Amino acid sequence: MKKGLLAGILISALGLALATPKDTFVHMTFGEVDTLDPAQAYDTASNYIIENVYETLYTYKKDSLTEYEPLLATSYEIKDGGKTYVFHLRKGVKFHSGNAMTCKDAEYSFERVLVTNPGDSWGWFLAESLVGYDVNAKAAAEEKLGKNPDPKKLKAFLDDYWKKIDASVECDGLYTLTFHLAKPDPTFFAKLLYAGAAIVDSKWAIAHGEWSGTKKDWEAWIGKDLRQGYLHNHMSGTGPYKLVKWDGKDVVAEAFDGYWGKKPKIKKVLVQVVNEEPTRIEALKRGDADRIAVTSRAVLESQVRNIPGVKVWENKNWAPAAAGAVFFNQAPAAKDNPYLGSGKLDGQGVPPDFFKDEHVRKAFAYAIDQDAIIDELYLGKGVKLTMALPPSFLGYDPKLPIYSYDPDKMEAHFKKAFGGKLWNTGFEITILYNEGNRVRQTIAEMFKANIEEINPKFKVKVQGVQWPDFIRAVSKRQLPVFILGWGADYADPDNFIYTFYHSRGYYGNKIGIKDQEMDRLIEEARTITDAKKRAELYHQVGKRAYETAPLVPYPLPSPFIVTRNNVTGVYYNPMLSGTFLWKDIEKK
Amino acid sequence: MLTFTVRRLLQLPLVLFAVSLIIVGMMQFLPPSARAAAFVKSEQQLAHIDEIIKQYHLDAPFYVQYWTWVQNALHGNFGFSRVAKKPVLEAFAEKLPVSAELAFYAFLPMLIVSIWLGTLAAIYRDKLIDQIVRVLAVLFWSIPTFVLGIALVAVVYGYLRLFGIGRLPSDLIIELAQASAVGKFHYYTGFLTLDGLLNGRLDVTWAALKHLVLPALTLILVQGAQLVRVMRSSMLDELGKDYVRTARAKGLPDRVVYYKHARRNALIPIITLAGLMFAFMINGVVITETIFNLPGLGQWAALAAVQLDQPAILGFALLTAVIVTTANIVVDLLYALVDPRIRYE
Repeated sequence: MKKGLLAGILISALGLALATPKDTFVHMTFGEVDTLDPAQAYDTASNYIIENVYETLYTYKKDSLTEYEPLLATSYEIKDGGKTYVFHLRKGVKFHSGNAMTCKDAEYSFERVLVTNPGDSWGWFLAESLVGYDVNAKAAAEEKLGKNPDPKKLKAFLDDYWKKIDASVECDGLYTLTFHLAKPDPTFFAKLLYAGAAIVDSKWAIAHGEWSGTKKDWEAWIGKDLRQGYLHNHMSGTGPYKLVKWDGKDVVAEAFDGYWGKKPKIKKVLVQVVNEEPTRIEALKRGDADRIAVTSRAVLESQVRNIPGVKVWENKNWAPAAAGAVFFNQAPAAKDNPYLGSGKLDGQGVPPDFFKDEHVRKAFAYAIDQDAIIDELYLGKGVKLTMALPPSFLGYDPKLPIYSYDPDKMEAHFKKAFGGKLWNTGFEITILYNEGNRVRQTIAEMFKANIEEINPKFKVKVQGVQWPDFIRAVSKRQLPVFILGWGADYADPDNFIYTFYHSRGYYGNKIGIKDQEMDRLIEEARTITDAKKRAELYHQVGKRAYETAPLVPYPLPSPFIVTRNNVTGVYYNPMLSGTFLWKDIEKK
Repeated sequence: MLTFTVRRLLQLPLVLFAVSLIIVGMMQFLPPSARAAAFVKSEQQLAHIDEIIKQYHLDAPFYVQYWTWVQNALHGNFGFSRVAKKPVLEAFAEKLPVSAELAFYAFLPMLIVSIWLGTLAAIYRDKLIDQIVRVLAVLFWSIPTFVLGIALVAVVYGYLRLFGIGRLPSDLIIELAQASAVGKFHYYTGFLTLDGLLNGRLDVTWAALKHLVLPALTLILVQGAQLVRVMRSSMLDELGKDYVRTARAKGLPDRVVYYKHARRNALIPIITLAGLMFAFMINGVVITETIFNLPGLGQWAALAAVQLDQPAILGFALLTAVIVTTANIVVDLLYALVDPRIRYE
């Protein structure tokens, strides 16, 4: 007895912490929360907090991406052939401030996103559906009217934009919320599940100096950086947790007593930013952390898996809601482009239209060793993609063929390229990666090894640069080949297919895809709501993309979650930034 | 002495102006699209770089950006740090105490121990104690901070389960966050060891102290090693001088010769070095702060530099200039204290 007491004193005196209390969840991760304002947040660290504190109209049913359940709405109907969505809101819901939630708050929240919509926020995809522009009023005016427009015309344009915002979201009575879309849009419902499409406490927000919710001061709020407003570091949501403190790094949250739904088992949450991985691992080992972020499978296998008391959650059916690809740029900047060498087909560089030649694209595609990426980078745990679409999404066709390393086919295509000229003249090309990104680096080095081996006149320079330099090169459209990914904004295939393959999609446009048939398929899939028909159209897109090879998807790593083994209820929903919600877990 | 101090302080605005101009100028060598990096959180946002550049006026000419900054700074607005997620001044108020607290607890023990060991090694030159001190000093001086830090985390924190990382254990972080939200705990100074006392929470002070042990030890070992070496050679220098021989010849006991005469003079280079070390520590020690997860100035400045967070970098550079200038003045004044021959008129 005495010995125990003595040991107890000794333990507490020396700081020998035992596991965290049962009602407390400590998550050590890396990367700071950018902002807590739902209208601004466009990164996983921020949305991770937002999805536990604020609530959307509907949400995913646990780990399903195709089944939804009502949250702040109880039911909804679609009218006017897909142009009108009517949501019936839940009654008796309270915000953390104590205010009651009505459709006035919902109207305010959505209009606030449409009014502000700063360039680095997610607002573009909501505005695209509701207003018909993917940018805020001022940016749209500049696109339409030029840099210094006639003040009268500008005023007319802004008035018209405001009318569109005002008409797109309506609150009838207290609990009926109606959306009027710019045109029928099968992706709209999925967009409403984005963590930032949450209902904020309008009375509380306005009282603390946020936008008034009326036309009176809306112009001052167009495109505003919301990080300097009240909602940046204060939250009043309806979710099961309320914010206690965010100091720019760590987040402390506690269960909200007035929550309308089931009371969560975990009462206190600490999300700690610990950027040093070995430190996170030691904290997990000691029981100071209940969950930690582990950056790669190599670290998982060598340093984490065998720690006693630790559980690694994984499942071969899990895949991230993301896609990445090696892009072949058919239209890189022709002038002052250091990555094209001489800019001519003379063996000292490549001409700007280098990748316009289908054979060049296919030869490069056959240089990518997909198996080696999975084996070496993901230690055998990865998923090959047939198209640039997460496998869990509607329209993904697992039966399509995949380009993989094949020196014979590579040689055959190189020999046919530029009417047979390329094989004799050779080329020199520069491939960039940002330091620290091992996927990009490995693929770039693969090109070098596999292509240079086939013909001594082929030269591939691999160059590692810092992230800002990488961004600059991408935005100036200089890179002939680049490797980039896309994480899902919302669980609809259009978010990927349009982005990657359409001539006006972000990546499609960047790499100069000009394929009318492809555009037609993608646009058709945008206008119909029948899921089966849409899936069929996306299959055709995938098939055509294989045949023309404008880009080649690279494999995704299989995800995993690391917790202490007394944590239960963990699941993997790739659309949730935390992959599960705090309210769904408990500690034994 | 007063005129000397005032004259030196008057140089400060000039230094600050030069520093800010150089930094803004250097950042302008980067094109707007590279400077947009601070705003790009995900690959998705690459799609919106042009909008981001426009939105944050990254393409405005150099003098416009500098002039806007100067005007705001003169009104006490040093801009918004995208890395700290808050205004620069607010970030300083929060992060400076974290670094300063660590510096405070590391500096004095380091100074005392290294002066003592350095003196001892010099007096017992080539004896066993000297050999040991020399080997250890070289050893710790040559171990990179991150190796020593991670070793301490793995062995002492992880394996022996002693002390902690961060500033406080998680249950106290949560409890204090809740308590301060309802006004039951106040951060008067930002020094947790002191705030614990001021709030009557000895457990907070005790916990904060335990969490300072490992980072402080890292600093003491790495920085102290250098001080020991300097102290030893400076002391040896003095011991070889004529006045020491004279003192001995006239029959003064060794203790008096060593500690009253020689060591006092040997301290001059130590003051220079230690002054700069202290300035450097207050200013944030990047690697130590990162490994032990202390949200101080060093961590912030390192991230700000990588992400090109211009207001934060500028603010940090200005603060560094102030701290280093002040430290130099203090060092100069200390010379006069140690060596009566030095006077500032």
